[in-house]
Amino acid sequence: MFYRLSGVHHTRYEDTRRLWPIPTDRRLVAVLFLLALSAPLWLSELYLQNYLLPWLIWSAATLSLTLLMGVAGQLHFGYAAVMAIGAYSAIHLVRLGVPFELAFIGAGLVAAVIGCLFGAAALRVKGLYLVMATLAMQYLVDWVIVNVPAISGGAHATLQAPEARVLFFSFADGFTRYYFAFFWAVFMTVFLLNTKRTSFGRALVAIRDKDYAASVIGVSPFKYKLLAFFTSSFFGGMSGAVLAFCFYRAVTPEQFGFNVSTQLVAMVLVGGLGSVIGAYLGAAFVLLTPMILSNGIAALSDAGWLSVSANLLAHLPLMIYGALIIGFLLAEPLGLAKIYDNMRNYFLVWPFKHSRR
Amino acid sequence: MQQKEGGVATTAEAARRVALRCENVNRWFGGLHALKGPDLAIFQGEIFGLVGPNGSGKTTLVNTVTGFYPPQKGRVLLFDEQINGLPPYRIAQKGVARTFQNVALFRGLTVLDNILVGRHIHMRPSALATLGYWWWAKKEEVAHRAKVEDVIDLLQLEDVRDEPVDVIPLGLQKRVELARALAAEPRLLVLDEPMAGMNQEEKEYMVRFILDAHEDLGLTILMIEHHMDVVTSICHRVAVFNDGVKIAEGAPRETINDPAVVAAYIGASDAA
Repeated sequence: MFYRLSGVHHTRYEDTRRLWPIPTDRRLVAVLFLLALSAPLWLSELYLQNYLLPWLIWSAATLSLTLLMGVAGQLHFGYAAVMAIGAYSAIHLVRLGVPFELAFIGAGLVAAVIGCLFGAAALRVKGLYLVMATLAMQYLVDWVIVNVPAISGGAHATLQAPEARVLFFSFADGFTRYYFAFFWAVFMTVFLLNTKRTSFGRALVAIRDKDYAASVIGVSPFKYKLLAFFTSSFFGGMSGAVLAFCFYRAVTPEQFGFNVSTQLVAMVLVGGLGSVIGAYLGAAFVLLTPMILSNGIAALSDAGWLSVSANLLAHLPLMIYGALIIGFLLAEPLGLAKIYDNMRNYFLVWPFKHSRR
Repeated sequence: MQQKEGGVATTAEAARRVALRCENVNRWFGGLHALKGPDLAIFQGEIFGLVGPNGSGKTTLVNTVTGFYPPQKGRVLLFDEQINGLPPYRIAQKGVARTFQNVALFRGLTVLDNILVGRHIHMRPSALATLGYWWWAKKEEVAHRAKVEDVIDLLQLEDVRDEPVDVIPLGLQKRVELARALAAEPRLLVLDEPMAGMNQEEKEYMVRFILDAHEDLGLTILMIEHHMDVVTSICHRVAVFNDGVKIAEGAPRETINDPAVVAAYIGASDAA
């Protein structure tokens, strides 16, 4: 119906590899892009800063994690630590007087180097053992941040993000914060989409799917696993910096604890491993569903339609949320992205279902 | 110091360049002596068959050549350059490509992308080029796509090009694996049972494709195969392995009728 393949004829190889070969996809992306770009015009400050902005940043972070977990197939359960390294590095660098643009890249580099150190140690192991090794990273980094006052500013201290500007725009301004987060999400999206059509991305997938077959075709498994850790940690660190400067405005070690790591993994899994749209859907699900559920149940209770104890009221959203995650993963183990893909494939040939191959 | 070249070695053949030479290759797995120092020389442009009963060390030999199990003793030379001891990806960069007995394709990729991975050693992959795809990667991708399309054309894979590899039939999967190896433009192609699990028609197709590739690309091929009809019809020479030792070598028909070979396969008859 909408997604029509007829009339799409490629005559050059580069055309078959463009980002969205189907016109409807291109229009959809353009509409979404314009909606996000104009969001400050039609969305209230509250929703912009508390819903849309964190969603964009967490989506970007999920995209960088899905590069490692989905594309390269290396599990990482300490990703919040990577983001913490980025966030703290950026703040300290800006405090030392480094311009934000450089501090931003510096945050990525510090996170990438430390992430790679753990990665290199972890690359000798696979699967569950890699999970344990990355968990160790989470706790070690947490411990160092909490116990080294030079980093955290003291055991239970909150470190304010200093006043900074990016290309003459101050972070004190809500618009700057939103547009910078938006830019970062677009940047990560483009990177992930390009990864899927270059030799770099194919080498990563080769390592994930069959490492011995990859090595006989000339892909060094160790090099590419390390590159995956480096690239992913680099962007993860930068996402942490964006989170610190655009959303939290002040960082504490608890903001990057183990539970955040599991949330990130949940975003990747619920969204769909290695999928770009999945990162957005997964982040939205993990981030927004608890909020919507709490608000909805509170509203129901206020209206008198739900008479339960205050204790149960607090836990009800969590119970529904957990059931929803299980439900979605049971219905479609490949995540929300696959559900979207199924719908798209349906419309691709609708109403001539028999023509599907 | 050279080993015997088998029955058909003529002066003209002896003058040909040796593509792969294995000298006294030994490999142990714990207490199992899987390769007991066979010597082997494969000439450039030759299709060389490796046959023998199960567990005779054929695949182990191939794995020592491609670097999976480096020989604990002995040498492997590719065009007179020592390659034993190098990791598999370095050996691949030197121009050795192989296929596997049980198909080892990348299941998350399409047929086209699988074959494109074969171009890896000729490309310059980097995260930075990925970031600036339009300026730094596009031209290279298109150039290598053209090369891959030549291979797709040669192996007649046009209509499955965009399919995910795990949905196409086994016969085609084996062909895709051959295409991936060919895309690397190897100097030595190693085929580990390319016809395993195929029916007669698929086998005939595969033989045709191997011969086409051999002719068009001027390849040297080392092939493990159990189908004796295939071996006798396309191999220039064969070596027979049994229990880690080379028991015969030479022209296919004579070699597989060698009494020692028959004995290895069906057991020696005492009454004879």
